[in-house]
Order: sequence, then C-alpha cells, then structure tokens
Amino acid sequence: MQISSKEIISLIGLTSIIFLIAPLFLILYVLSYNRRKKRHQEETVMMQKNFETELLKTQMEVQEQTLKTVAYDLHDNIGQLLSLTTITLSSINLDDNKNTAEKIALVEDLTMRSIKEVKALSRLLHGEEIISRGLKAAIEFELEWLKRSDKFKVKFTHNHVPFNGDSAQETILFRLFQEIINNIIQHAKATEINISLQGAVDNYQLIISDNGIGFDVEEILARKAGMGLHNIIKRSSMINGNASIVSSPINGTTITINLPYK
Amino acid sequence: MVFLTFNTVSEFLCLLAAIIFLYREKSIAWKLFIPFLLLTCSVEVAGIYMREIMQVRNYPIYNLYLIFECGFTSYFFFYLYQAYRYRPIWLFTWLSLFTVMYATDMVSHGGKLFAGDTATVMSVVFVLASLYFYYLKLKDPHFVPLIHSAPFWWVSGTLFFYFGSTVCNTFFTYLSNYESITYSRSIRYIIFNVLDVTMYIFWSYAFICRYRQRRSSPL
Repeated sequence: MQISSKEIISLIGLTSIIFLIAPLFLILYVLSYNRRKKRHQEETVMMQKNFETELLKTQMEVQEQTLKTVAYDLHDNIGQLLSLTTITLSSINLDDNKNTAEKIALVEDLTMRSIKEVKALSRLLHGEEIISRGLKAAIEFELEWLKRSDKFKVKFTHNHVPFNGDSAQETILFRLFQEIINNIIQHAKATEINISLQGAVDNYQLIISDNGIGFDVEEILARKAGMGLHNIIKRSSMINGNASIVSSPINGTTITINLPYK
Repeated sequence: MVFLTFNTVSEFLCLLAAIIFLYREKSIAWKLFIPFLLLTCSVEVAGIYMREIMQVRNYPIYNLYLIFECGFTSYFFFYLYQAYRYRPIWLFTWLSLFTVMYATDMVSHGGKLFAGDTATVMSVVFVLASLYFYYLKLKDPHFVPLIHSAPFWWVSGTLFFYFGSTVCNTFFTYLSNYESITYSRSIRYIIFNVLDVTMYIFWSYAFICRYRQRRSSPL
C-alpha cells in the first residue's frame, strides 16, 4: 500500500503535536511533585516543632515529678524527723542526767538522718544531671526513693549496655518510666514491680511489669481516662519506638517500650 | 515586511527581554544570552534575506549557527549542573562527539545541505540533558519554588523546542523536498514557528525570574 506524501506530512504534524504535549505533561508532573515536596517539608518542620514542644513538656514534667518527690519527702520524712527532734529536745529533763544523755544521742541520730535526707534531696533536685549520668543510673536513683516507701518489692535488671540514642530520646524514655511507675503507685494496687532494661546492637527495650489489679486496655484507651496510656503510646512513637501494653486481672500489667536505633 | 515573521518577532522580543533583565547580570553564563540571542536574530534575518531576496538556499548560515547553538546550550547546561558537582569531562566528551559528527556531515555533502543528522543527535542530547535536570530537581531534597526558578523555565523551554523538533529533524530531507515552492506554508515552518514562540516565551519568563531573584538577593 502506497502512502501519499500528504498523509506522511499529516503524520509528521500529528507526531509533532504529541511531542509537544509530552513535555507539557512532564513539566506539570515536575511542578506537582515539587508542590508535594514543599508540603512534605512543611510537615517535617511541623513534626520537628511538635517534637521539640513535647520534649520541653517532658523535661518540665521530669522537674515537676522531682519537686513532687521533694515535697512528699519534706513532709513525710524530714518533717517527721525534725518534729521528732523537737519533741525529744523539749522532753529533756536536765536533772535526769542518764535520760538526758540518751535523748541527746537520739537527737544526734535524728539530726544525722535529717542531714542525710537533705543531701539526698539536694541530689534529686539536680534532675537534669541525673539523666545526664545515663538512663540506667537515673532509673536506679528514682527506684531508691520508691524502695524507701517499703510498699513495693522492686526488682531492677539490666544488661549493662548503655543507651546509644540521642539525649532527647533518653529524656523522653526516662519520663515514660516515671509515668508508668506513677500509674502503678496510684492505680495498680501492686506489691511487686519488675523493671528490665535491655540494650542490644540495634534496639533498646524497657519492660515494666507489676502484679497489680490490671485493667482492660481497650476500654481504658477508648475512654478519656486513658490519656496517660495514650501519652505513653504517643511519646514512644515520637522517639521512633513503640509501646505494648498487656494487662489482665491475674497477671497484672506489663508495659514494653521497644526503641529501635535508626 | 518579509522579515516580520513569528520567528523573528519572538526572537527579537526575547532579545529585548534579555537586554532589559540580564543587562546588570553578574553571572557570565546568563549574561551570554544577550550576544547569543543577538546572533540568533542576525542569523534569522540573514537567513530570510538569503531565501527571499537573494533566492538562494540559506543552509550554510544555519550550519555555521549550529556550532554556536550547540556550544552555548551545552555550556549553559553545564553551568546549571555545576551546582550538582557535575564533572566537565562529560561536557568535553559531548563537544568532541559533536565536532566529529559535524565534520562528517560537512564533508559528506560539502556544506551545501543542512547538517540534519548532527542537529537530530544534538536535539536528542539536549532532550536528555533537560530530563536529567528534572531528575536532579526531583532528587534534590531541598525545596526550590520552581514557579519562580529561572533555570527550570529555561530548561522547560529548551525541552519543548528540542523534543518538539525531533520529528521535523528526523524527516528533514523528506520535508525539504516539499518546501522548495512554498516554504512559508510548509508543515516544518508551522511547527518551528510554534516551537520558537513557545521556547522564547519560556526563556523570556526565565529572564524575568532571574531578574527578580537577583533583585531579592543581590549577593
């Protein structure tokens, strides 16, 4: 079949039109992709800002928690010691030498215990420094106060592998630990608390379990009252980790925070 | 009036835009547009003069212009790629290849015909260069507002022209047989008019973008 020159020229014209339309679509695609890139960049900036805000909030919460502990300790411990010291001093009868010597010895002991408590409080007030000494040290320090109450049997296990993430992640992880412990103290009615800190080459894991009354995870998460749990999940994902919450009335609650390194 | 065509008017307007917006330009690559467009306009006018007044084929002048076109466009692409640490070896390799092809084309028909094969290969290379620029832009994690980006619009105009002219260049010999009588009504003339006008609109906008960019950040 012979193709006429007119047909060939029409074909050339048509092909050229197609060749003109193709770059137009390509340009539109590049522009649209670029707009998406802008949106993505804006979202990244927004996420970064949110993370910084959350980190600041976390740091303030750590400080608040420290101040609460200080307040409780001043009231329940040092306050009691000083009251006892005052009572002992006021009961001294200077005519009764033997009794006076015993009481002065008791006052000396109470004063020494008060000084020790004040020193411990002073250390606690440097909350930031505690975290800078490492997550393990910070947890150990926090648990010291918990053990004093004698309400819980606390067991802390770790494999001596230091945390390799950044300091922001470490602060948030420490705050998560504090939040979980607070929940146990306030709601769990537990007698035993087990804490495990396990570091590996590619991840870090914090497991906190108790033998308390437990709760229905789904129900609590669905209710507004579950804000604390939502917070744990949200903050874990903010540091690129994940939180798993398992709870039952017989076995208590186990919260696992897994933090893979990037 | 014979000199007033879509091509010449769009070229002169683009030259005018280049003079107005790139006159105080500090970058040599951008400033070179003024002499290059001046040369383009002169070649176009000379081409029309040869064809319409002298009644002779104007291929020799366009053959000569091809060298400047290739040299300048290649250099400008190289200038755009420099931000992405592009190695000069590729520019020199391409220019060497062009020289060989051009010389072969010239020797084969003694310069009496247009170096169509060289122009076709050159078009393909510039299309690839434009696509590579897009690829670099897409890959670049930093956001650049492309709507106001002078390099982007220059590359887009160039892509339009060289991609659109591929078919005409491929069928150049065939089409030229039908142009001897009425070139001004030929399909090639119409297509090149559309391509030229499109490219020079894009380029003029690129010059405006460049001017605005320079005004907003003089350093």
